[in-house]
Amino acid sequence: MKYNAPVALILSAMATCAWAQASSEKSVNVIAIVMFLAFVAVTLGITWWAARRTKTASDFYAAGGGITGFQNGLAIAGDYMSAASFLGIAGLVYTSGFDGLIYAIGFLVGWPIVLVLIAEPLRNLGKYTFADVASFRLQQKPIRILAASGSLVTVIFYLIAQMVGAGKLIELLFGLPYEAAVVIVGVLMTLYVTFGGMIATTWVQLIKAILLLSGASLMAFLVMLQFGFSFENLFAEAVKVHAKANAIMAPGTLVSDPISAISLGIALMFGTAGLPHILMRFFTVKDAVQARRSVFYATGFIGYFYILTFIIGFGAIILLLKNPAYFTDGALIGGANMAAIHLSQALGGDVLLGFISAVAFATILAVVSGLTLAGSSAISHDLYATLVLKGARDEKKEIRASRIATICLGVIAVLLGIVFEKQNVAFMVGLAFCVAASANFPILLLSMYWRKLTTRGAVIGGGLGLFTAVILVVIGPTVWVDTFGNATAIFPYKYPAIFSVSIAFIGIWFFSITDKSAAAASEQAAFDAQFVRSQTGIGAAEASQH
Amino acid sequence: MQLETIRQLPEYAALTRARKKIMWPLSLATIAAYFALILTIAFHPTTLGTPIGNGVTTIGMVLGLGIILFCMLITGIYVYYANRVLEPLTQAIVKKAGGKQ
Repeated sequence: MKYNAPVALILSAMATCAWAQASSEKSVNVIAIVMFLAFVAVTLGITWWAARRTKTASDFYAAGGGITGFQNGLAIAGDYMSAASFLGIAGLVYTSGFDGLIYAIGFLVGWPIVLVLIAEPLRNLGKYTFADVASFRLQQKPIRILAASGSLVTVIFYLIAQMVGAGKLIELLFGLPYEAAVVIVGVLMTLYVTFGGMIATTWVQLIKAILLLSGASLMAFLVMLQFGFSFENLFAEAVKVHAKANAIMAPGTLVSDPISAISLGIALMFGTAGLPHILMRFFTVKDAVQARRSVFYATGFIGYFYILTFIIGFGAIILLLKNPAYFTDGALIGGANMAAIHLSQALGGDVLLGFISAVAFATILAVVSGLTLAGSSAISHDLYATLVLKGARDEKKEIRASRIATICLGVIAVLLGIVFEKQNVAFMVGLAFCVAASANFPILLLSMYWRKLTTRGAVIGGGLGLFTAVILVVIGPTVWVDTFGNATAIFPYKYPAIFSVSIAFIGIWFFSITDKSAAAASEQAAFDAQFVRSQTGIGAAEASQH
Repeated sequence: MQLETIRQLPEYAALTRARKKIMWPLSLATIAAYFALILTIAFHPTTLGTPIGNGVTTIGMVLGLGIILFCMLITGIYVYYANRVLEPLTQAIVKKAGGKQ
């Protein structure tokens, strides 16, 4: 109950801002504000309920292992269906048709890989973070430092993209100043995670996933209803209206050269299997069977969601382009990313607009909470517990460290959100996937399946992958030219994954096989025991009991 | 039961064999389907822009949406196989190992 005061403060502050704005600007949607406040009230209620159930480290990091496969599948889908992917992919389909589909497919194809190669061994070997698995038979300290670095870099880039998107969206939808919007998001996510841990974060994610799937389903249904549920009719009408005509039905300018196309493909496909906030979700279920079930449901929900987003993008082409009310000076109000939001108004008036706006906000809140929890777990469970506590188990201290880390991450996210306001942050999600594919994924995969992996190989190879991914993005066109304003890029490709992932795998391989130390020999010898546990789950059960 | 003994169990050998049998084909099928599309986009984008019949729907659109459904199918096949084949073997090993899982 001790956080009732701040909660009341935020709610009243938001309500005041919103109403003040509403009275001065008629464009603000009252339904959106009411629905959003209802979402905040319900989720804070859940956080209060979850806080009373969060007693152990297992509760805090993994919801006590008590989430079912179906719930976890929905929560994973919730983590993955960010506002960026909902508004971004719908916007991309609206601008260039088929190119939007390329991204949607890329985001989905990692899931069968996660299911078949990663999910079950991950659940059988780990406890709270993927570093548990990577360091299972290797040296704790260096591996955890590296895995935590990979996790934090991924989380921070992802978080910046979401915070900036959130600020802009809320500014536009609710008429709040950008800074206020970013602060509200930061404060709410910190409250959810600090007090409610994984239990609250999971339930916030579940509610949001249901809201988002219902909202998107309704929009896609209303679009298809107008075209007799025929894709051919939908496409035919879109081709007639769109300036690019038939070109929207084929690959366009998004991926122009082969290296970029393959590189983007590698980053999206293998990055999914290295996202710390997604991997963490597998520890919230009872066992490998539930982990497997989670991915099956998650893949179904995510695939279905991308099909909806695709229909929504095409619906936006047809319904928005014909209506000048959505344009100023020939450009869509708020940019292409607002296509889905405008479409909701075109389809269902202010009621649907209000609902979808509130859902978009809820989506952002849920995703940043999941990211923050993953980041704070990397700090407390991997860095603090290994470096400060030096492996001496002390759950109370670890949870306290995690809560402090959450508050710090909240502050950092708000500050970075404000710093990057004017920057193009679209590349940051791509960078997060690239880092995940170049550092986290190779270490995780090889630690589970490759006997010869040694600490030296994992640290040097994984470190090279992480370093290369970040450096090549910085000296590539998106940062060197677009952000720093240089004339030409030092590294010519937008997506470096083909190089950084290869360097990681080759580095890990080379520095492992040439490692002739006694420690390396014992790490390799420990593989058989690890493999028995990873395949059968024997020995894994106590991980979720407390 | 010692780890060595678990590794000697015929069920353990059967489990790792059965897992290999499904793991690599399904992973490779997904990777192949996706990179076939990506490489076509990279080297021969016009193929994907070819309309089907007299309509405006292109091969690319059908393949693109098809891959989304294909991913769902792959996960379905794996879960079906895992529940029918892998799970009974795992349970048998756990039972012989004497521990409750």
